[in-house]
Amino acid sequence: MSHIHLPDGVLPTWLWVLGWAAALALVFVAGRLAERDDVRRKVPLLAVVSALMLVAMSSEIVPLAYHINLTVVAGVLLGPVLSVIAAFIVEVVLAMLGHGGVTVLGLNTLMIAGEMIVGWALVRGMLALMPTRVRPATFIATVLALATTTTLLVGLVALSGSARATERETGALDPATLTFANPLSGGVFATGLFAGGEEAEAGAAPISVTRFAAVVYTLGPLGWVLEGLISAWILGYIARVRPSLLSKGPLASRESRMIGDGGMRR
Amino acid sequence: MNIGSIDRSAVSGSGWLHVVSPVAKLTAFVLLIAAVVVSWNLFVVAGLLVALIACVASARVDLRLAFVLAAYPGVFALIFAFASAPDALSATVIVLKAVTAGLAAVTVILTTPYPQVFAPIQRIVPSIVGDALLMTYRTTFLLLGKFASLMTAIRLRSGLRGTHPVRMARATTAALGSLLLYALDLAQRDYDIMRVRGYDGRLRVPMRRSATPLLDGALLVGAAAALATSLAWRLGWQTLNPYSWLVPLPAFALLGVAALVRILRPEVDR
Repeated sequence: MSHIHLPDGVLPTWLWVLGWAAALALVFVAGRLAERDDVRRKVPLLAVVSALMLVAMSSEIVPLAYHINLTVVAGVLLGPVLSVIAAFIVEVVLAMLGHGGVTVLGLNTLMIAGEMIVGWALVRGMLALMPTRVRPATFIATVLALATTTTLLVGLVALSGSARATERETGALDPATLTFANPLSGGVFATGLFAGGEEAEAGAAPISVTRFAAVVYTLGPLGWVLEGLISAWILGYIARVRPSLLSKGPLASRESRMIGDGGMRR
Repeated sequence: MNIGSIDRSAVSGSGWLHVVSPVAKLTAFVLLIAAVVVSWNLFVVAGLLVALIACVASARVDLRLAFVLAAYPGVFALIFAFASAPDALSATVIVLKAVTAGLAAVTVILTTPYPQVFAPIQRIVPSIVGDALLMTYRTTFLLLGKFASLMTAIRLRSGLRGTHPVRMARATTAALGSLLLYALDLAQRDYDIMRVRGYDGRLRVPMRRSATPLLDGALLVGAAAALATSLAWRLGWQTLNPYSWLVPLPAFALLGVAALVRILRPEVDR
């Protein structure tokens, strides 16, 4: 559970607008950087890796809230610049499929991109220290990346909670007892202006960040471990079958990416 | 996430929403999302949802597919509501918001071919982003089909059943690993094809002009009315709250009309 499954309208406007602005700025910068050279190779690579993440997100191994993301695997293959673009693409497609809100698309892009970049950095760093230990390095990196982004998620909810995002109007329904009062009991026409106005409703309680954090940190680690195991197996498999993808990357020239070329061992 | 069914609905559908121009639908979608964001009134949000269901029903979209897709964000909203909502009423509103927004997005994607949905986005982002977005959608179909084939092959070879979750997880992981290699090879082939065909960094999708300005206008007016209603109840809640129950009534009337039309002409229900 890493990217935000918050519905539209829960987070305060300033927060999701800021998310959109930051995400679009990053996407534009990443796009300009990526277009500097060999754009024809990057477009299909972005497409297949983004599609792979979408396929993974549609495959649930554990029911209910868990689905794998393969964000760290994608980050390792794409690197930091293309990861930002891939995150945006994935989130746009998901939003149009009703999976994740449109207003939180910007924040989701930042979360997924952050997860990919953190995962990429950790994997690369650990492989530099222990180049033959692909699976342990990937597992540790994935768990740490997911823990980081989950903590960011809790932070976002905390920010939104302080803004009383759940201020509400209930009509004739009493929220305390969930009873429905007759709206016409005071007559057909009821205007606050002539009656001296109604008492303003007391401020609603903010979102319960503590409870949200408790739920997320209870359910989350199971997902982190699962994602870590799956990502570790996949990258370990890649390291064994086509090690140049890890050592040189998928954008390396074809001549240098032969099966069984020199590189790391499992 | 049955993307094949979604695409088939968008391309082959014959409802009135399929005829409305993509720009009008996307604009109406934005207005409706704004209405959902603005309102925390249970009755207003419920009215928005019912009105949207009426639109979907009248557009002759596969209702089961639409509701399944829209329910997905509702599940996560339910988890979020359970985890953080201060009371049951707020939790209910959160879930309704999620389902309404999800259904709005799904309605757009079920009635609009994906190039037309992504075309406006393509015009405001760098070309590499827009082009990759277009290719991603197509590639997803290819990878989903390949993934299904790989899973079938692995199951047959291993004799796996659903009663072995650990072995199923290992099989799924193995399929994903193979799928990754296939995907990267596919990227190489796509690059070769694009290079041969003279791709110069821009996959332009022409924007489809409106063939039914009246329908476009009607949709936009309806969406604007929805937003106006949300704003009115948000800004004038002290005066309008006792009358919140009135908001869903016209929505239910629309739903009734749509249901009658659908019953009398049940071609889409399969």
